[in-house]
Amino acid sequence: MMSKLSLGGKASASKLSSWVEPAFGELFPGRRGPRSGGDSGDKPAKRRRVKSSAPNPESGSPSRRQAPRGEPDEPWVERYAPRSQAELAVHKKKVEEVETWLTTHLDTKASFKGGTVLLLTGPSGCGKTATVQVLAKELDCRVQEWCNPNLPEYRTDDSFRQMFDPDSRFNGFQSTSQTGAFQDFLLRANKYNHLQMKGDSQASDRKVILVEDFPNQFYRQPGCLHDILRSFARTGRCPLVFIVSDSQSGDRGSRLLFPKDVQDELAISNISFNPVAPTSMMKLLSRIVTMEAGTSGGRVSIPDKSVLEQLCSGSSGDVRSAINSLQFSSLNDLSLDKSLWTLKKGKIPAPSRKGFMKAKGKSKSSQNTDMLGDSQAIGGKDASLFLFRALGKILYCKRETFEAAEAPRLPAHLSEHQRDKLLLDPELVVERSHMSGELFSLYLQQNYTDFFSDVDDIARASEYLSDADFLTAEWSSRTTMLEYGTSVATRGLIHSNSARAKADSQSSVGFRPLHKPHWLLVSKKHKENCHAAQSLFISFCLNPVSLQTELLPYLAKLSNPMRNPAQIAFIQDVAHLPLNIFSGSRLRLEALTDKDPGLIDTDSENEETLQSEATAENEGLSTEPGPASSPDAGVDLPMSQPQPTTTEALLEEEDLLIEEYESD
Amino acid sequence: MSLWVDKYRPTSLGKLDYHREQANQLKNLVQCGDFPHLLVYGPSGAGKKTRIVCLLRELYGAGVEKLRIEHQSITAPSKKKIEIDTIASNYHLEVNPSDAGNSDRVVIQELIKTVAQSQQIQSSTQREFKVVLLTEVDRLTKDAQHALRRTMEKYMSTCRLILCCNSTSKVIAPIRSRCLAVRVPLPSVEEVCSVLANVCKKEGLQLPPELARQIAEKSGRNLRKALLMCEACRVQQYPFSGEQEIPETDWEVYLKETANAIVSQQSPQRLLEVRARLYELLTHCIPPEIIIKGLVTELLSNCDGHLKAEVAQMAAFYEHRLQLGNKAIYHLEAFVAKFMAIYKKFMEDGLDNFMF
Repeated sequence: MMSKLSLGGKASASKLSSWVEPAFGELFPGRRGPRSGGDSGDKPAKRRRVKSSAPNPESGSPSRRQAPRGEPDEPWVERYAPRSQAELAVHKKKVEEVETWLTTHLDTKASFKGGTVLLLTGPSGCGKTATVQVLAKELDCRVQEWCNPNLPEYRTDDSFRQMFDPDSRFNGFQSTSQTGAFQDFLLRANKYNHLQMKGDSQASDRKVILVEDFPNQFYRQPGCLHDILRSFARTGRCPLVFIVSDSQSGDRGSRLLFPKDVQDELAISNISFNPVAPTSMMKLLSRIVTMEAGTSGGRVSIPDKSVLEQLCSGSSGDVRSAINSLQFSSLNDLSLDKSLWTLKKGKIPAPSRKGFMKAKGKSKSSQNTDMLGDSQAIGGKDASLFLFRALGKILYCKRETFEAAEAPRLPAHLSEHQRDKLLLDPELVVERSHMSGELFSLYLQQNYTDFFSDVDDIARASEYLSDADFLTAEWSSRTTMLEYGTSVATRGLIHSNSARAKADSQSSVGFRPLHKPHWLLVSKKHKENCHAAQSLFISFCLNPVSLQTELLPYLAKLSNPMRNPAQIAFIQDVAHLPLNIFSGSRLRLEALTDKDPGLIDTDSENEETLQSEATAENEGLSTEPGPASSPDAGVDLPMSQPQPTTTEALLEEEDLLIEEYESD
Repeated sequence: MSLWVDKYRPTSLGKLDYHREQANQLKNLVQCGDFPHLLVYGPSGAGKKTRIVCLLRELYGAGVEKLRIEHQSITAPSKKKIEIDTIASNYHLEVNPSDAGNSDRVVIQELIKTVAQSQQIQSSTQREFKVVLLTEVDRLTKDAQHALRRTMEKYMSTCRLILCCNSTSKVIAPIRSRCLAVRVPLPSVEEVCSVLANVCKKEGLQLPPELARQIAEKSGRNLRKALLMCEACRVQQYPFSGEQEIPETDWEVYLKETANAIVSQQSPQRLLEVRARLYELLTHCIPPEIIIKGLVTELLSNCDGHLKAEVAQMAAFYEHRLQLGNKAIYHLEAFVAKFMAIYKKFMEDGLDNFMF
């Protein structure tokens, strides 16, 4: 949190550094003994916060402009925090989006319409806070920030006694809940202007309220927050910005706190950030490195380009973690540094191998180091894939030609199974999609037909999918078999697509939209309808099959007046089928994209803007339509949030039923 | 006004329209006032339930026809609440335990226990046992069937079980050996025709014999279906004519259309359309087994010779998987895709032969 603040161009770096423990301080000799470098993870600074840290930005920035000062222990994240829009690593369009929002809503004085709320979402370290801070500075308004107060919850005996001391009447026991405090804060921040201090020359009364960390109660009862927001929407005077980092694994903060209906009700604008593109990250890192090299005078070793690329790919779009890792890796007086990085020195990261790949054949050793290197980037995050990309990887299944000499040949009678080398590891793709294999297979099943052109191929692919389901049929062995089932599904799908057997036969299918699977909905509906049928028509004493296939359809044909309205409605709904051929089915195709409408637009735009600095390999991949490029080299991670809330809930429901099976 | 199926259902063993000999045997069976556990099986629409109800009436008199629907909730040992609907009279209880899914074992044990433990008050006027009618026994889990075996012996003194199912192949042998198995075969076409004629006569309608025969054949001798069809014919057109078209249910027509779609074109695009249609059928409560069965019947009529065997074998393979697997759509789709592949190859080969 601390670093998020400071990343945002907080003026208080000098003040803070005295009492905030820098993350790498202890790694420097002479201060404390070097610790094993384990704690350089994703939270660089201690989680401490400055209460109401809203100093005016003008006074702070000049001191910071005189770039690196003599303090060696200052985290680079703070030292090189962006100070202008140009320095932001965030995509220009996003910044513009936020800027337009801020400008339009800052000047609502004239037409007072209540408070407006902006919600920024995105993975951690993609520059959400930085953007707000920088923009606030440029638009000349103050940022007033909420942070969770440390409420007195647990008291030592002493202080407790003191508090309840009958003699001292002034020491009243006062405690407010975090929620109450939050409400107070909003009220005050809203009502009262900033005091005019002497230093502030032309302090404007424009301000933005920023909320990044939420009182815990809100996670338990999002309703509280919504009530507060509603009252804010009526009375508020200044824009309110919420920042919610969404991580892919499970934590659905933004969806919990700001469900769609509330967003609509309160007209909350939502801008979601993408992870920082590798190219802009690369630019940023090299800039820092050169600046650092110029000033440090040899105390800092400059990592070469390959190391920087490693950092880029390892951080998976998290600027903060990338900079921290960079600082860590460029400390040359650390013995541990050498051993850690020598592994990588030997290999040249060939552009095509940047991603992960299957280690096989003769090139095993070199690829092994590649895999190792991938996982070893210090402070690197676990790479993760958006579902959209993960599906694309399987469906587009990129291949690579063998070097002519070492190409293994299948005997003639098997030649139809000859495939070029895969550029991906299906199991890894599934793992990185953060999704159960079952659900992933469902997504594949929904989408695979578009990628096949031959009926034989599709028959084989569907058979593999059926195999996969069959493997997990047995309840008792399901947990073990799940992985195998997914492997069969993904690999079978890849293999059976003979149109994509060769590395150079890939452009036949252009971009195809992906959709969410229907099956979960269908099977739920099926169950519901069957259940309803049985409970509504129980008086016929029929078993379900004959009820559903004989009685109900004929009841629909008869005009039998003895039924109650519920039964009539049910028959109307269920027993009638749309009978003209190829009438559109009732199931809408739900495109698997983000709410972000410009998925394809941003892609193409990225190409334009980044073309200047895009390396050849990047260009090659980004012109490839669709998401088939390797995960790290892609110019832009398209925002394709899986939004699996509903589907997962359905799946969980299914699982629940199974779990309640008792075998004794 | 109730449906003809219910209106003209025979209410005593003496009034049954067909399988008279069996009816007599059943009558003799309950003559002495007691009978062993019964396992009544046979295809759907043959009249199993009708015979069971007649039997009960023979035993207890008209009181069994006063039915009430009860909503029972049973707490499993794992504290899970199971809700199940039962149909009961003072003398018997009808329940479909497979409604409870995986917890059917608990339903069987608990329900039978409660029934068996409550003694009849006036044993002088009534039988000293109650009857529990379990339907769809072939859909019970193995667990539940084993539990049933034990329960059958334990409460023999106070309750009799009548098990009702379509096929005994899924009923475990110990249960089969504990019951008197009664098979109720389908009525013959003639028998169906005579039943239809009787019903129409009672309704005051003229039913041409040709139409009756058509209905009987089209219904696959399923009497329930035949009666429903006949009633639908009545709604569609009266007076009846001999060559009147018999209305089919929507889903059957839809399934036919689907089969035609598969035969007319074999492409990934078409597979996608077929999938949408399969989903549509599923949401309309048509069980996947019925879908695959219907598809095969339709598709087979478009095949000839060795292709027929191949398709049938394939269908059996995927239907088996359908039963075992979790998600029916995978298997349905695999079947359709496989058929498309085979059929396309067959057509291409045929074309080649034709050309040269």
